Amino acid sequence: MFGYIKPSVQELKIKEYELFRGYYCGLCKSMGRSFGVLSRFALNYDSVFLGLLLASVHGEKPVLKKESCIANPVKRKWIVKESPGIDFAADINVLLTYYKLKDDIRDEGGWLPTFLKLVFHKGYKRAALTNKDIDRIIASSVSSQISLEKKGCSSTDEAAEPFANMMMQLLASGYSGDDKSVPRILGWIGYNLGKWIYIIDAFDDMERDIKSGSYNPLLRQYKYENQDIKDFKASIAEEVKVGLLQALSQATGSLELLKLDNKGIISNIAYEGLYGKTERVLNCIAGEKRSCVRDEESIRGIGY
Amino acid sequence: MRNPYEVLGIREGTSVEGIKRAYKELVRKYHPDQYQNNPLSDLAEEKLKEINEAYDYLMKKAESEERNSSYRQQEEPRYGNNRENGDRGLYDQARIYVNMGNTAAAEEILNRISFRGGEWYYLRGLIFMRRGWYNEAVTCLKTAVDMEPSNYEFRDALNSIMNANRQYQSTVYERRGYTSGPDLCTLCQCMICTDCCCECMGGDFIRCC
Repeated sequence: MFGYIKPSVQELKIKEYELFRGYYCGLCKSMGRSFGVLSRFALNYDSVFLGLLLASVHGEKPVLKKESCIANPVKRKWIVKESPGIDFAADINVLLTYYKLKDDIRDEGGWLPTFLKLVFHKGYKRAALTNKDIDRIIASSVSSQISLEKKGCSSTDEAAEPFANMMMQLLASGYSGDDKSVPRILGWIGYNLGKWIYIIDAFDDMERDIKSGSYNPLLRQYKYENQDIKDFKASIAEEVKVGLLQALSQATGSLELLKLDNKGIISNIAYEGLYGKTERVLNCIAGEKRSCVRDEESIRGIGY
Repeated sequence: MRNPYEVLGIREGTSVEGIKRAYKELVRKYHPDQYQNNPLSDLAEEKLKEINEAYDYLMKKAESEERNSSYRQQEEPRYGNNRENGDRGLYDQARIYVNMGNTAAAEEILNRISFRGGEWYYLRGLIFMRRGWYNEAVTCLKTAVDMEPSNYEFRDALNSIMNANRQYQSTVYERRGYTSGPDLCTLCQCMICTDCCCECMGGDFIRCC
C-alpha cells in the first residue's frame, strides 16, 4: 500500500480538504512521536485513508490543534490529535515500511535500504510489540507472496491473494467496537482495496519489471513475449479494467453499509479518487513513467 | 425501531415527495442487484429492510396512497436446461454450496466432475466471484457463455458483473456533477421552443429571433 488511495482534491469541499490535511499531518506527527523523526518520510496516503476510515467508523470526534511542522516551520496548520485510528495507522505504516525495506535488501541490496532498515529497526520493534498479531499477519503474507512469485504464478487473482488477504485482516483488526458486522464489512473493503492496489500497481510497473526482469503477474497471465509494450498494455487494459472496477464496486458497496462520519471525504476517495486513478493508470499506456506522474512507490516490492 | 427519519437520512417534517425521493435513492443504493456478488449481501438486505420499515411507517403516518416501488425478494435463479444426467446430483449439490457461500465445498464437488461443460464453468465462475477473484470469474463465465450461448442464466451472471461496474462508473460521473441539470444544448432548445410558442401567441421571448 503505497500511495494510490487518494482523494480527488478538486472535488472536495474546502472544509473537507482541511480536515483531510489535518488527518494527514496528524498521522505524520503521530509517526514522528512514536517512531522518531526519520520515520515520517515513510508516510503515505493509503495509511491516511486507513486512519481516517477507522476514526470515522468509531465515530471519533477529531481534536484539532494548530501547530507548526518541520516541513514548514513558519505556517501553522490544523492537526488531528489523540486519534486512536490515526495511531493504529501509524503503527501499520511503520510495520509495512519495515517489511518493504527488508525486501528491498533481499532484492537489490545496496546501502540505502540497509541504512533505512537500521533507522526503522527500533520503530519496528516498538510497533511489533504492541501489535503482535498484525506483525504476524504481515510476515505470513510476505512469505506466501514470495513462494507464489518463486513458482511464477500466472494468475493475477492468485498472485494478489496474499496482499488482499493481509489488507482484509488489517482493516478488520482495526475495529474495536462491538458491532459484529463491522469487522466483516471492513474486511471485505480491505480485501477489495488490496486487490485493486495490487493489480493497479502491477499494471503501472510493467515497463520497469520488463527492464529489470522482475516478476509481474500480468506479464505472466497474458503471456508477454517481447512484443511492443504499448501494444501489449493496450491489448490487456480492457480486461484488467473489468476486474479493477469490480473490486471498487464491491468496496464502495460495502462502504455504504457502514455508519460513518466524514462520509464526504471517504466517498470522495472511494469514488472519484480511486476511479480517477484507475483511468489514469490504464490510459497511460504511452507514458514512460509510472501513472505518467511519479508519485507512487511500488508495493509489489514486498515479497520479491 | 430507529428514528425512521434518521434511517432515511431526512429531516423530520419532510414532505411526502421528499420522503419518496430519499427512499428511492436509498433503495437504488442498497438494491440486491448492487450486491448480487457481494458476500455482504445479507447486511445490505437488512439495511433495505430497515429502510422499507421506516418508509412504510412514514407513509402510513402520512396517510397517503400506498407506495408502489416496494422491493420484493428476488426469486432464486432458475436451473439451466442443458445438463449431463450422470453429474446432475453433483451439480445440484455444488449449486447449493455456492448459494450458501461455502466455496471450498463447492469447489471440491466441481473437481469431482470430469465432463466440463458450460454449467461447470458457470459454477466455477460463481465460486471465483464469491472469493473476489474477479478476473478468473469473468474468464470462466465467458467460457460458459461461449459454450452455451443460448443460456440466459450464464449470460445474466456475466451481465450482473458488468452492470455493477457500470453502476459504479455512473455514480462517479453523477458525483462529479456531469449529469446534473440540463446541458447547454437542451437549454438552447428550450429557449427556442419558448420563443416559437410566444411568437405564435403574438408575443416574443427572444427579440432578435
